[in-house]
Amino acid sequence: MSAADLLPLLRGLTWTVALTAGAFLIGAVLGVPLLAARQSRLWPLRFLAMTAIQIVRAIPPILWLFIIFFGLGMGVMPISPFNAALMGLGLIAAANMAEIYRGAVASIHFGQWEASAALDLGRWSIFRDIIAPQAFRVALPSAASYLIGLMKETAVASTIGVAELAYQGNQLSQLTFRGLEVFALVGLFYVLLSLPIAWLSRVADGYLRAKVAR
Amino acid sequence: MDGAILYLREDDRLHGRVQPAMMPASTDVLIRLKSLSKHYGTHIVLDGIDLDVRSGEVLAIIGPSGSGKSTLLRCINYLEPPDGGIITIGSMTIDAARPVARAELSGLRRRVGMVFQSFNLFPHMSVLRNVSLAQERVLGRSRAEADERSMQLLKRVGLADKAGQFPVRCSGGQQQRIAIARSLALDPEIMLFDEPTSALDPELGLEVLAVMRELAETGMTMIVVTHEMGFAENVSDTVMIMADGHIVEKGPSKDVMRNPQQERTKRFLRAVHDR
Repeated sequence: MSAADLLPLLRGLTWTVALTAGAFLIGAVLGVPLLAARQSRLWPLRFLAMTAIQIVRAIPPILWLFIIFFGLGMGVMPISPFNAALMGLGLIAAANMAEIYRGAVASIHFGQWEASAALDLGRWSIFRDIIAPQAFRVALPSAASYLIGLMKETAVASTIGVAELAYQGNQLSQLTFRGLEVFALVGLFYVLLSLPIAWLSRVADGYLRAKVAR
Repeated sequence: MDGAILYLREDDRLHGRVQPAMMPASTDVLIRLKSLSKHYGTHIVLDGIDLDVRSGEVLAIIGPSGSGKSTLLRCINYLEPPDGGIITIGSMTIDAARPVARAELSGLRRRVGMVFQSFNLFPHMSVLRNVSLAQERVLGRSRAEADERSMQLLKRVGLADKAGQFPVRCSGGQQQRIAIARSLALDPEIMLFDEPTSALDPELGLEVLAVMRELAETGMTMIVVTHEMGFAENVSDTVMIMADGHIVEKGPSKDVMRNPQQERTKRFLRAVHDR
């Protein structure tokens, strides 16, 4: 294998990073309103959010990508493989992040809600000033694990033709007939991607824990 | 604690809110509860409580566990919405049988401060921020104004040097004094204390009681659910005994504590003294 063979892998790496970051960002942002709906006082909204979360999580990611790319993409609106993968994985990430947030919020001591209510902090202030910052710390390790899982899950996008890391690895192995080396290298790239996420999460968690540990 | 006591008087004189120490409570009724009731399923926690608290009065509520003391306190500021009855605070009246508007709830909670058994400080904020936050969000004070007022209050409870720390670095007694300062920051007319020293060892409890005693001396209207019999007898004006969701007995603190009339009160006080 020459250095030139590495180029497609590096290109694939950038697509993997873009897909992971994009889907996680979508999930992290959309997870908040989804959680709000899930915890809403209006039961139809609560029911809708709960059902959506269950359905999104129950269907395998690869099927979501097929539904969006082959289903919507071919019939309803044209969509590029990357956008279809981003949409599908973003959707799944939103459902999962909503559940991670829900667990984190539930772990906040009820006394925090009571003290906030007794001080007449409004709903928005209670969320922004009291609950969210504390829940963020609780959610951080789970969110980081999920991010690593999501990064690996992006390999599924190769099935609809997104030229990410696994896709490029597959191409290269077929060109060179050196599957073992190629896929070992691809595996190494995934490991290298996960290391900084795990490290950052530990550093951030340690910092926050030292500051506010009870 | 001497420092805190000294500061308390200094601070009050500076702010023109000082009243002669141990000033007797006025005859104006500040809080009136009429037939206040609360139940969980079929279990009646508060069975039509009628209660008047005068402006400047310090009322201690004592009684066995499960008697409804804490629930009564929590119903007054609507942390637990009562099922029925009327709450009147000054000119404001809330009919518990009707849904309460957000503005009414807001008005109620601004007039009534609350201190909890477990302090409930915000662990992710500095001590100063704990005291300042609600001033900014609720009263609309600027950060600088709020911090200035917070520092006065922290001085008042003897903890100005802790302003930059996080609550986790403070002892239980210090945390409770910070919680008192946080509550006072909204300039409430009434302070509710829900077993403020129960989570503290006796020595740390003392420093909290000293702050409460000073607060009482400035004329603050206080309702204190407590197991501190010394506080009930010596600091409060009135003692009320509750059992099974009822008021068993209520009267001037020394009378009730030394010469109780009701058999239930005698039994409770005997149990307390026998410990």
